[in-house]
Amino acid sequence: MKKAVVKKYHEKRAALLFVLPAVILLFAFLILPAFSTIRYAFTDYNILRPDDITFCGIQNFVDLFQDKDFKKSLLNTIYFTIIVVPFQCALALALALLISPRKKGVSIFRAAYFSPNVTSMVVVAILWSVLYNPNPSTGLLNAFLTKLGFPACGFLTDPKTAMNSIIFMSAWQAAGYQMMIFLAGLQGIPGDQYEAASIDGANKFQQFRYITIPGLKNVIKYVVMITMIQAMKLFTQPYVMTQGGPQNSTRTLVYYIYEQGFQSRNFGYACSVATVFFIIVITMSLMLKRVIKAD
Amino acid sequence: MMRKSTLSVVLAASLAATALAGCGGGSKSSSGSGQTTSDGAKVVTIWSPTDEPAIEEWWVEKINAFNEAHKGEIELKREAIVRADSYAYEDKINAAVTSNDLPDILYVDGPNISNYAADGIIVPIDDYFTEEDLNDFVDSIKVQGTYDGKLYALGATESSVALFYNKDMTEAAGITMPDKLEDALTWSEFEEIAAKLTTGDVVGTNIIMDKGEGLPYVLEQFWISNGTDFVSADGSTADGYVNSEKGIEAANFLNGLIQKGYANVSPIQQEFHNGKCATMLGGSWEVATLETQFPDVNWGVTYFPVADNGGIPTSPTGDWAACITRNADVEAAGTVIAYLMNEENVTTYAQAIAKLPTRASSYDTLTEYDEYPRSVFKEQSLNTGHPRPRTPGYTVLSPGFSEAMMNIFTGADVKESLDQLAEDTDSNYQKNYAK
Repeated sequence: MKKAVVKKYHEKRAALLFVLPAVILLFAFLILPAFSTIRYAFTDYNILRPDDITFCGIQNFVDLFQDKDFKKSLLNTIYFTIIVVPFQCALALALALLISPRKKGVSIFRAAYFSPNVTSMVVVAILWSVLYNPNPSTGLLNAFLTKLGFPACGFLTDPKTAMNSIIFMSAWQAAGYQMMIFLAGLQGIPGDQYEAASIDGANKFQQFRYITIPGLKNVIKYVVMITMIQAMKLFTQPYVMTQGGPQNSTRTLVYYIYEQGFQSRNFGYACSVATVFFIIVITMSLMLKRVIKAD
Repeated sequence: MMRKSTLSVVLAASLAATALAGCGGGSKSSSGSGQTTSDGAKVVTIWSPTDEPAIEEWWVEKINAFNEAHKGEIELKREAIVRADSYAYEDKINAAVTSNDLPDILYVDGPNISNYAADGIIVPIDDYFTEEDLNDFVDSIKVQGTYDGKLYALGATESSVALFYNKDMTEAAGITMPDKLEDALTWSEFEEIAAKLTTGDVVGTNIIMDKGEGLPYVLEQFWISNGTDFVSADGSTADGYVNSEKGIEAANFLNGLIQKGYANVSPIQQEFHNGKCATMLGGSWEVATLETQFPDVNWGVTYFPVADNGGIPTSPTGDWAACITRNADVEAAGTVIAYLMNEENVTTYAQAIAKLPTRASSYDTLTEYDEYPRSVFKEQSLNTGHPRPRTPGYTVLSPGFSEAMMNIFTGADVKESLDQLAEDTDSNYQKNYAK
């Protein structure tokens, strides 16, 4: 009895030692900065005057709710998330279904679909800005369009299409990762379930609906959640491709934080945007969890 | 179970929220002042953007020579910082201010000088130059480096922009370009030529659509030529200047070039060099690029266009310049800055980078500037140059202007966009710099 208690104590200590490095890192690079962000949100911190920071109460937040650029960035971020999450997840699932049968040569496609994901987003974004160029003699997509007799599309230079162009390109780039997760999930569904279903006369769609989807339920939850949080953080694409334009159509919250903090140097204000963003992301994540749970 | 997963959501979300906070904190260490090497020499660090091989070689040679001459006293080091387009270099400076890691000597782009001076990031450098010495520098570089009556920065090179044209195309269209400053093209002549030269594959002109600093640098001249500017002379007000009637005229003229298809809103890199556009507003540095990398292009260059009905002849100026930061050991840094801006170094630097020198005496050595095409830029630099607005609010004005022009070019209302720009610029000035 006594021995068991001592052993338990040793185990506990070992466990604590094992998590310690992770906890220290999380604390230093995540929790502490998060707290300073919230602290700075209540100051007039100008990034070039780090020695002259004064507390200004909730002034930043009062300004924030009258700031139409902030509102527009928030709406853009929400729009991006609402469109890109289902689109990207469906695309990833479709790709995973395509390559899940163990046939010869399938691994080539697996590598091909995953390859945009291992390429840096900056590289991909520069590449796509050339593809999207509004001038048919430069932009490949417009060259196709005009060859087929359609008018050239502005893509990134037209406020009506800029965000959708970024959505399409982002989903293309990122879907490979979710595809891999779906693939692992698909391989975890026992093959005899499909066999039994086909003996009972279920067609392919019914098999998908009643075996694949329930079998992937937990994977789908996870994928939707990480895709959503990633989508909320959209920054690289507008930074590289559009600088938030044209006419604010691709300015996202994180890009706005960068602009306010570093270009306009209103670091305190940027922190207040970051704080609001933090609250929004948490609320959305928790809401999403509820919805998925209720299902 | 529920609590654990809630915690993970919170953690993941805070990952998102800490996008900024990595740069917080206020350590008092500094890479600038106080460092010494083992033999007791003071370390002076320079930050400047990475550059072409010729300039990188120039730096190595000059730093070695300096260190040789000041052995045991000063040890000079340079960190080349990637600038890229956009504002990456400035972001780095902002971060260094926050963490108190500024170098001793900082190269900054001309219009940022007022901003850094107003915030006390950099210190005056009048003391390290004699009056006679300063008289040798062209006015535009001194004007650019002066804030509140004190000199904060000096550079070795100046820049200018003029209208390059593809001779094969202009000759085929029967167009003769002016070869005297007083005959410079007017806006309507410029537009007419651009219209004539626009064909299926080739656009008539290129008006620097880099979506970054290039836009205010070049396009401000259209405001100046039309008798207004971006901001008032003291730099405090944009309303009534950038969005004045004459400013709107300038924006409308530029927008016309884009909307009528005479210029591309997102041109490819080196559009002119590759024969995809017939004329371009290009910098003096393009001369060297065209000569060395595009010897087959048959090109000419003429003066910056002026507004119709007696517009003011003007051309952009301004370039990167060296400053001393507040973290520096001023005495050592002063020795270095005087060395970097001495006659020989200004001349060789300007030569290596193929830009206009800032010392009048350098032209004695750089005789190529007496001959066309370089003479066009020398003439402009000495006679019609206008530096960018000297206001600490420039850091908001510059990206704001790029954005406003992009909005206009993609269909936004001209007056509304410029009004918004004026409002944002002024409110930033009032908030941060008004006394």
